[in-house]
Amino acid sequence: MKALILVGGFGTRLRPLTLSFPKPLVDFANKPMILHQIEALKATGVTEVVLAISYQPEVMLNFLKDFESKLGIKITCSQETEPLGTAGPLALARDILADKSGEPFFVLNSDVISEYPLKEMIAFHKSHRGEASMLVTKVDEPSKYGVVVTEESTGKVERYVEKPKIFVGNKINAGIYLLNPSVLDRIELKPTSIEKEIFPKIVSENQLYAMVLPGYWMDIGQPKDYITGLRLYLDSLRMKSPSMLASGAHIIGNVLVDESAEISDGCLIGPDVAIGPGCVIESGVRLSQSTIMRGVRIKEHACISSSIIGWHSTVGRWARVENMTILGEGVHVCDEIYSNGGVVLPHKEIKASILKPEIIM
Amino acid sequence: MGMTTTDERAVAVIMVGGPTKGTRFRPLSLNIPKPLFPLAGQPMVHHPISACKRIPNLVQIYLVGFYEEREFALYVSSISNELRVPVRYLKEDKPHGSAGGLYNFRDLIMEDNPSHIFLLNCDVCCSFPLPEMLEAHKRYGGMGTILVIKVSPDTAYQFGELVADANTNELLHYTEKPETFVSDRINCGVYVFTPEIFTAIQGVSTQRKDRANLRRQSSFEALQSATRSLPAEFVRLDQDILSPLAGKKQLYTYETMDFWEQIKTPGMSLKCSGLYLSLFRYTSPRLLTEGDGTKSATIIGDVYIHPSAKVHPTAKIGPNVSISANARVGAGVRLINCIILDDVEIKENAVVIHSIVGWKCSIGRWSRVQAEGDHNAKLGVTILGEAVNVEDEVVVINCIVLPNKTLNVSVQQEIIL
Repeated sequence: MKALILVGGFGTRLRPLTLSFPKPLVDFANKPMILHQIEALKATGVTEVVLAISYQPEVMLNFLKDFESKLGIKITCSQETEPLGTAGPLALARDILADKSGEPFFVLNSDVISEYPLKEMIAFHKSHRGEASMLVTKVDEPSKYGVVVTEESTGKVERYVEKPKIFVGNKINAGIYLLNPSVLDRIELKPTSIEKEIFPKIVSENQLYAMVLPGYWMDIGQPKDYITGLRLYLDSLRMKSPSMLASGAHIIGNVLVDESAEISDGCLIGPDVAIGPGCVIESGVRLSQSTIMRGVRIKEHACISSSIIGWHSTVGRWARVENMTILGEGVHVCDEIYSNGGVVLPHKEIKASILKPEIIM
Repeated sequence: MGMTTTDERAVAVIMVGGPTKGTRFRPLSLNIPKPLFPLAGQPMVHHPISACKRIPNLVQIYLVGFYEEREFALYVSSISNELRVPVRYLKEDKPHGSAGGLYNFRDLIMEDNPSHIFLLNCDVCCSFPLPEMLEAHKRYGGMGTILVIKVSPDTAYQFGELVADANTNELLHYTEKPETFVSDRINCGVYVFTPEIFTAIQGVSTQRKDRANLRRQSSFEALQSATRSLPAEFVRLDQDILSPLAGKKQLYTYETMDFWEQIKTPGMSLKCSGLYLSLFRYTSPRLLTEGDGTKSATIIGDVYIHPSAKVHPTAKIGPNVSISANARVGAGVRLINCIILDDVEIKENAVVIHSIVGWKCSIGRWSRVQAEGDHNAKLGVTILGEAVNVEDEVVVINCIVLPNKTLNVSVQQEIIL
């Protein structure tokens, strides 16, 4: 089977992290975001994944060679030279997706994390024999998304409304599709929106079916949702593979620690923390609801909550970092500094406290 | 009677800095090394380089910095051709300090056996009166001559303050960024030396090595001196050479009466672009554009327009505007005090004031991109990074916008990542 992952463009909402790496390679729970999806696809038996990108293929291709050999799955990049929207990239990758097997192919959005019940989705797709299947999830504020109204028993989609102004339903398009190759015949190689142009047509022909996603779903394309997403992901990990989480007197709740990270005495870590490879957490450090990326050093007595600390940064002794502080790559926060929601671009040194949320270039 | 010495060759060294040092020049430095950012239509480093060309018997120019060689390869090749003087980029492998960097490349510099070595900082904006400095230096007969300028006393503390003898111009006292007022004459970051400078720098290194050895024997010494943590080959020009040698009849000063600024931020680059445009009016007026609105656009004041740029005749441009290659300025556009970079498209009736519009930006019809124009304030000049799209009728005031963003609603006083 084949799959296409819509990676898209510049990832500006995840700046400053995306100033150092393209968004799919930004780590989430100690793994590049895109690796979560590629692994889920591989487990379902997908043999080839196409990444639809518009930006920085060279950086991506280097990483992908690595994943290809480790995972045993073929990964290619399909680069659009002009913006093709959310459907156009499928037409661009047509030759790979519409292979002779006639099997349906997956389409995923790179910003989404979930439990990826892809085997169940394949079974669902076979059972209804429609042209297209979509996963939907229940949310509190549906008007930000594409709302899907289905027939209860079959899952057949009766209406698909993008960002409705009045309440239509609370199930939204989770951005995970399983499509028959015939869908490709509906898409021209030009800027096209799958949500606004393709799906409504398929719905009108009664060919779109939706399955409700069990478990969590999150669009982690911006820092606030990234932090919430980590909590949901770790909750799910607790239920599925609790041995992967850290344990000990210094751990509260769900904490993921890479085996090459060092944590000294007197620390209190958690809940909802991910500590990446090569990190050094010195003694007396408190971490909660935060992501500490590869190669970071947190010095003694520092306290970090609800923040993202970018690759190879250092946080000084007695520093207090909280309230959605995002440190880009290689940022150095001096001793005793306080950061309240600072958003710091790569390679800056923070010598003065940041008292209210602000961007430091 | 006898032959005059003709073998007085000069070599110029321009310090260009490096990538991680210049975070103050973001967001423009996210796309281009600061020394290559255009001021008055030419890369920043072009201005000191073309000033060096006026030095008699100049045989070589070295650019020294921490950037990768490939970032300067194209530029040095084309400028060497254009100005018919060899320009070469040298990458420092590690920080040596402002004087140590010069010393690090002394063999190359001395290859041409120069009698005089000019040292300039790339991010200094001034008229570079180098031939005059050289003449003065020869008269003084010292080891080095420093370009100085008088500034207002309340700003002097930001720089190196100097005291010079009113008659002999000898440097009597030098102190870097003092807390109390010393002098209103400051160091411009432009110097001319004789090769004795290398001996002086080596002396500092040796002295430091000796002290380090001594310190192993004396714990009292170990408690003193801020330089104990500096490696021997890290030599700073200001603290290690100028300060100690002041008052020893080796260093002299030459005062410039023209403008002088440091180009540390994008806001200052806009101001300095204007200063260089006004300098062009005296040195190379053919580079500036004229126009009265009949066959070509109305031009007010000093304006540079690259020959490949297209400007509609109903547009009004200036004062202090630079327009780079392949930019397109539509009908009825008004541009005041701004830098428009390559491939920008400005659509009809748009207005741009006190701003820098990055490469490939698109400025919509009737949109307004402006700022208060305070070159020193963080948001005093609006900066649009590469490929920013400002949609029709949108107003952007006092903002910094990072590359690849689209602005479809008006915004004020913000940094947009």
